[in-house]
Amino acid sequence: MSWVNICEESLLPARRGVAAWVAGRAVAVFNLGEAGIFAIDNIDPATGVSVLSRGLLCELNNELYVASPIHKQHYSLTTGKCLENESLSVDVFEVKCQSGKVLARALAQGGVLR
Amino acid sequence: MKTSKPKLVIVGNGMVGHHFVEQLCEQQLSQHYDVAVYGAEKIAAYDRVQLSKYFASGSAEELMLTTQADYEAKGVELHLGQQVSHIDTANKRLTVNGQQTQYDKLVLATGSYPFVPPIKGNDRRDCMVYRTIEDLEAIEQAALNASSGVVIGGGLLGLEAANALSALGLETHVVEFAPQLMSVQLNDKGGELLKQKIQALGLGVHLSKATEEIVDGESAQHRLNFSDGSFLETDMIVFSAGIRPQDTLARSSDISVGERGGIVIDDNCQTSAKDVYAIGECALWQQKIFGLVAPGYQMAKVALSQIAQQMPERVQAPLTFTGADMSTKLKLLGVDVASIGESRGFAGAQYVELSDLQAGVYKKLWLDETGLYLRGAVLVGNVDEYSHLLSQYLSGDALEEPAVTLLLTDESAPLTLKDNAIVCSCHQVTKADIVEQVIAGNHQLAEIKSCTKAASGCGGCSALVQQIIDDTMQAQGLDTESGICCHFEHDRQALFHLCQVENIHDFEHLYQQHAKANASPLGLGCDICKPVAASIFATLENQYVLNEKHVALQDSNDAYLGNLQKDGSYSVVPRIAAGEITPDKLIAMGQVAKRYDLYTKITGGQRIDMFGAQLADLPAIWSELIAHGFETGHAYGKSLRTVKSCVGNTWCRYGVQDSMGLAIALEHRYKGLRSPHKIKFAVSGCTRECAEAQSKDIGVIATEKGWNLFVGGNGGMRPRHGDLFATDLSTEQLVLYIDRILMFYSKTAARLQRTSVWMESLAGGLEYLQSVIIDDALGVNHALELQMDKVVANYQCEWKTSLEDKVFLQRFSEFVNPENAPASTKKQYQYQREQKFPIASDVQTFTEINRSGSGAGDIAITLLDEEEVLV
Repeated sequence: MSWVNICEESLLPARRGVAAWVAGRAVAVFNLGEAGIFAIDNIDPATGVSVLSRGLLCELNNELYVASPIHKQHYSLTTGKCLENESLSVDVFEVKCQSGKVLARALAQGGVLR
Repeated sequence: MKTSKPKLVIVGNGMVGHHFVEQLCEQQLSQHYDVAVYGAEKIAAYDRVQLSKYFASGSAEELMLTTQADYEAKGVELHLGQQVSHIDTANKRLTVNGQQTQYDKLVLATGSYPFVPPIKGNDRRDCMVYRTIEDLEAIEQAALNASSGVVIGGGLLGLEAANALSALGLETHVVEFAPQLMSVQLNDKGGELLKQKIQALGLGVHLSKATEEIVDGESAQHRLNFSDGSFLETDMIVFSAGIRPQDTLARSSDISVGERGGIVIDDNCQTSAKDVYAIGECALWQQKIFGLVAPGYQMAKVALSQIAQQMPERVQAPLTFTGADMSTKLKLLGVDVASIGESRGFAGAQYVELSDLQAGVYKKLWLDETGLYLRGAVLVGNVDEYSHLLSQYLSGDALEEPAVTLLLTDESAPLTLKDNAIVCSCHQVTKADIVEQVIAGNHQLAEIKSCTKAASGCGGCSALVQQIIDDTMQAQGLDTESGICCHFEHDRQALFHLCQVENIHDFEHLYQQHAKANASPLGLGCDICKPVAASIFATLENQYVLNEKHVALQDSNDAYLGNLQKDGSYSVVPRIAAGEITPDKLIAMGQVAKRYDLYTKITGGQRIDMFGAQLADLPAIWSELIAHGFETGHAYGKSLRTVKSCVGNTWCRYGVQDSMGLAIALEHRYKGLRSPHKIKFAVSGCTRECAEAQSKDIGVIATEKGWNLFVGGNGGMRPRHGDLFATDLSTEQLVLYIDRILMFYSKTAARLQRTSVWMESLAGGLEYLQSVIIDDALGVNHALELQMDKVVANYQCEWKTSLEDKVFLQRFSEFVNPENAPASTKKQYQYQREQKFPIASDVQTFTEINRSGSGAGDIAITLLDEEEVLV
């Protein structure tokens, strides 16, 4: 899968999330400044609702998470795994910045590019 | 054929009789009997233990344990002001006011009466006793025309009566026949220290005085002539020379009574007559009368279990009464006094004695002949060791260290209570009972109170219960109140204080200066500490909650100024203060709802919620509402929701005040106040309480003279009636108190703690809160008022502010690259009952719910319209 241009870097607010379309999928993009930009599925697998970009960012045990605004499950921004329920996970997207643009592409499990 | 239920009759509606009925209903045994209660007093059961509070509050209301209506609701007949004059035990009939009535089981809980010594002149004017609310009313009345008062009797109740007279402003004297005060509980030296302390308070104490007669006085209404030739003059006299079991009814009905009174009972609380039980102070068990409430409650449980035993489906083993510990701890005239076990010593006893007159402390421990077992104790002036000593005494275990170490305990040392130690003597709750519930996940004092009943009687053990909770949680490796989350070791109250004192207004500074030493330098925080910080900043400054510094801290609802629903849409809730709305505004709302296809519903808070608004539509919806004069209802915030109201005296025939006017004013004053959790108010225009104010955080009920204020009520999962905080307030006074209470709550409550739980978690509870708010015991009221004034002055409609801010509006174009959206992304809805619902919801539409003819409880449901219309 190839890189998709999402938006201007300046459109990503600090320490918050926005939603973006990446190849027909709703993706939540989080700008954590020096710590990087992260992207995961926007759909909360616990409820099937497209809301994760509206969740609160958390740092727990040296891992970054977003808390679903619906029922507060935490999803890792780096692995996609749910902290509370092993059977739940979201897909993680790879993100890079290039001349002021934010680009993303899906990352398969185990780090193999699709 | 109708078979009638057996009839259970309880004679007496004091604390013990009432406890019996409560247990009966709680164990759901009341359904097997027709239950009737006869009380001699004109009012329902009240808290006699706290009787002297009557003079503090000036009303009996606070003391009431129940009401006639409560009994009605339970399906129990309550006949007040009714004397039962005879029991025909052979035919199982009672005579009440000349009428005969049948019983199958009978429980006598007739209590006791005050003993008035046979002194000549004891029936003169203003010679009274101290036992019922009627007695107190009479004392209060007599005190109006008196300048001095004497209490005859220097025991526990006598000193309480003396306290009351002194509080009524009388020059007060205590006259005691014995050579010391509290001769039942204390030894001579303990009594002597107590006497000195009471004298230091300005009361006269006269020991070894036998009153021979009461005659006309010269300088006052009465003169008491003592056997030693001395005399004392006074305007009024209260006899408090002990109690006697009220056994007249039993005597006249040929039920066995003791030589010195008391209805004889066996270990099953059964009297000499078949199916007749006696419980509480009227009962004589092994030649002993128990004049405390805890043993009375135990007897109530025993009698109930014995009666229940005779029901076919009962399998629980019956209880028996095995005596009761009479240890007590109390504050008399401000002096702490406690006695445990054989507090007056016994022949051959060893002892350890500590007498520090300089500090005003006397303590004595009584040990058995070997010195290995604690048999009793007296504590005067300082009773810190009471719980330890009682636990040691009740365990019956040998001392592990020299007895003197029991008096040298360090308060901060971990508690070494045995598992079987009774922590709450009112409800017989052991340490093990509490530990079990803590391990089961009940970590709040309020939860423990409700599931074990510990600390829900006299409340004296609350601090101990809290300590057991903390110790148990620590033993489990759980964090007790230390720290709200993994980033801060402070609780919410401490964080609030730090932000206020150090003028911290943003999360970055709070994190840099006060996060745990090992917290990550990234400083992101989590979904617990960020919303707490946001709420604290908002309470302190009441700035726009979505400003750049705070926007990333807000929780799901606050972050988009709407209530997130299960399908990702939002509800829109404009403020409709006190539920008053003009026809024009109603029409405007209807038009908005129609235009944006919103599901509409009238809520319990007397306003209208509109559901199903898409994120992108929120700004347009709100700009229309604001154009029609609406403002945000803060339904998304941990803040004031609504002030519910009845229509009040402007329309209602019964209203005594303008509840609507007050409710609207209160809603506008406190709207926008961010607090630890949501806050609900209600105002009722009269005592009929149509607005259900007692179930709200702040409840106001109109009286002829002003407003009664209730605090800490709650509906929801754990309903609680608010506590009556103050009565007959002027509107200005009312607002002042509410200002202080809300700000004190905002400062001190734990995260997401409603006022009901906060109230129960305050050490000292209602009285403490009253002392802070009314008497300014902490000296903080002025600061609380200033803080509230600031919040009120900085109010803004957050939606109005938001609509003027272009950056903010960007938040609502949900996707940064909408041009890349796939073709069909519109949310789907189904339509039922002419309104829309999320497609994933199971909407049930019932035409009629019938009870089918035969099978009890079967409900037949007919669906009206199974056709789902999809869009």
